[in-house]
Amino acid sequence: MNILITGASSQLAQAIASELTEDHSVRLMDSVPVDIAEGCDFIQGDILDPDDSWKAVRGIDVLIHTGEPPTNLPSDELTREQTLLDLATRGTHVLFSAAVGAGIKKFICASTLSIFNAYPDDVYITELWKPLPSPEIVEMTKYLGELTAREFARDHLVTVTGLRLGELVLEETVQGEAPNLAWLDIRDAAGAFRCVLNRDNSNRAEWTQRWAVYHICADIPNPKFLIDQARGIGYQPAHNFQNLFLKTTG
Amino acid sequence: MRKVLVLGASGNIAPYVTPDLEKDYDLYLSDIVPHPDGKPVINVDITSYPDVLEVCRGMDAIMNFAVLRDDPVVSFEVSTKGAYHVMKAAAELGIKKVVHTGPQLVRNAYDHEFGISDPPLAPGVGYYGITKYLSMEICEIFSRTYDIQTVCFLFNGLGAKPTEVVTKGDFPPFTVVWEDLQHACRLALEIESVPGNFQSFNLLSYFAQGKYEVEKAKQMLGFTPMGGLEDYFRRVTD
Repeated sequence: MNILITGASSQLAQAIASELTEDHSVRLMDSVPVDIAEGCDFIQGDILDPDDSWKAVRGIDVLIHTGEPPTNLPSDELTREQTLLDLATRGTHVLFSAAVGAGIKKFICASTLSIFNAYPDDVYITELWKPLPSPEIVEMTKYLGELTAREFARDHLVTVTGLRLGELVLEETVQGEAPNLAWLDIRDAAGAFRCVLNRDNSNRAEWTQRWAVYHICADIPNPKFLIDQARGIGYQPAHNFQNLFLKTTG
Repeated sequence: MRKVLVLGASGNIAPYVTPDLEKDYDLYLSDIVPHPDGKPVINVDITSYPDVLEVCRGMDAIMNFAVLRDDPVVSFEVSTKGAYHVMKAAAELGIKKVVHTGPQLVRNAYDHEFGISDPPLAPGVGYYGITKYLSMEICEIFSRTYDIQTVCFLFNGLGAKPTEVVTKGDFPPFTVVWEDLQHACRLALEIESVPGNFQSFNLLSYFAQGKYEVEKAKQMLGFTPMGGLEDYFRRVTD
């Protein structure tokens, strides 16, 4: 398949590209120059620009929208917030509109499990729970981006899959730290995108079948975030921070 | 007298609401265009956070009627980012009451149903619907976090009440008349709190079709629409 991955400068996008390059033709997109891995295509463009988005989605079968911002965000706090808001809402809308126009049927968008931080740690969170995002700008805009993406499944005969990712880390770099119930190794995150590549409900009459959301994090002994839904689509995390969680529970 | 900032004061809604509120509230009208009745307006661009923050200082409540409906860029700037600026300023300044409006985000999905009271919103991807829907989410997020009491009104049309008999015509769906909207805004300004700090309410003035309902507004706000407007649409019988 021909796959477009946005937010190319991010670790997440590059991990997804590494995961998929062997079997698929991967195009990466970002508004800043990015050194990309061999075998990938790169297009420099801004998702807020309809022309750039149109060029990026041409010939693509699957759009993976990481929602990761470029590395050159403004340093001024207010302008940074406004830029993130713009990218998540209008940017997602411009990009998805171009993709629908180009005939793409499969969309995958990244969101975050941090929208459940408001819940205490003594509950089991599944996809059935109401998100309670805070106004923290990254958390809030990830959620607004997810909502924007979801509406495309309502209005168009396309499959949109949301992946609410835990806190992205590398297992080997957090050794010695206090365990986090939302940890997700970035390589497992990339694997989750592979799992939903073939999900295709584009012709289903009900939009609720065309849209789906999955919670993605490590498989830990006493989880707050249950990942049974994701297991159902083949998600099997390999990095589960066992040493750290066993120390805690033991 | 409570100070109330009205954003979008020169638009399609506020000029029909504010005359009724003037005697009880100290209204500060703001917009980027002149008021249709020539009233003084503070020039405030809702897409500029410094503008919004400055004009919000000292206010007890904010009524945000600013909207831009169908533009691929400005709809997001005014309806979504504008709402972000309003809620951010309210949080920063400790303002505890916001009145927000949106198009009804109900007709898209439920227009062929009846007894429609409080269904989940279904905005779709049209600029008007999605940008106002996102603005409501932003309002809810800030309201929940900063204990801001936000009341949002949803309606599809706004107009004068009929003054003469209408023949061979039906009344417009999901439409509220000016007097009922004024009444609802007054209730929103006066209510101490709403569940979850944020609630949206259908508003309409014509009920005989049995399609859209305002039970939630009646129960939670005490909304009592004037009623009887359907009588203008009576067919003459022998």
